[in-house]
Amino acid sequence: MPLWFTRGLRRGVVTTRYPARSDPSAASLPTPPAFRPRQLTVQIVDRMIAECPGTALSRAASTLVFDVGACTACGRCARVAPQAVTPSGEFELAATARSALIKMIPIRGEQR
Amino acid sequence: MKPRPDETATAEELRKRISGQFGRSLHIRTLDTGSCAVCEQEIRLLTAPHYDLHRLGFFFTPAPRHADLLLVTGPMVRAFEVAARKTYEAMPGPKVVVATGACALGGVYQADPFVHGEVEAVLPVDVWIPGCPPSPLALLQGLGVAVGRLAEKMPGLTFVADGDGDAR
Repeated sequence: MPLWFTRGLRRGVVTTRYPARSDPSAASLPTPPAFRPRQLTVQIVDRMIAECPGTALSRAASTLVFDVGACTACGRCARVAPQAVTPSGEFELAATARSALIKMIPIRGEQR
Repeated sequence: MKPRPDETATAEELRKRISGQFGRSLHIRTLDTGSCAVCEQEIRLLTAPHYDLHRLGFFFTPAPRHADLLLVTGPMVRAFEVAARKTYEAMPGPKVVVATGACALGGVYQADPFVHGEVEAVLPVDVWIPGCPPSPLALLQGLGVAVGRLAEKMPGLTFVADGDGDAR
């Protein structure tokens, strides 16, 4: 008999407590990026937009427009600028309005 | 290990909310409008013992006429448009449409002669669940948002990394 089965019987728990309590496996999920505005420059942002395989990233003047709904959490933007991008760790992303999924990130880096 | 009282309360509340809005249980019909089937794999995992969707009063049904919630995946290929509309019309009201995954939200395919590019072009979407694919936990949260039990976190999220002075 598999070990997990007997352990589950003994503890009486195989099912996640989510949504009442957080689930430990959530920490290992791939999540959309979070950006560091002071590390972002227009050049870096344009390189990230070119690398993005979908339509998640675009730029309006000095604002990075991040469409979370279009993001596949592939991590290519983080490969372009590891200093400016980290995983956000957010997986509870459901929204009742499409516009709530579009985030404006200011670009505050020094222009070189 | 017994569930703590507050956990039981939350599950109980969710159960009541579902029974108030949709009778004793909420039935889900999944609709694949041209997805790569990874979203379907994650949806299927919801019925596995670890996630155990049934404990929250959600069930899958093969018939749209029995469904309260339409879980749509894929970029809505044009060949499927008529079937999607018929499925939606066959559902009794009140009905909820949930667009699931980056394709359904318009992030992967642009509108062209073969696909609409997003579910919203054909069906009135109520809840959007991002992710490629959305994990079962994300789907659970999306379903909770769809029945109004779980608060959506999205409007409060900035996707600006902490400690980088967003306030200034």
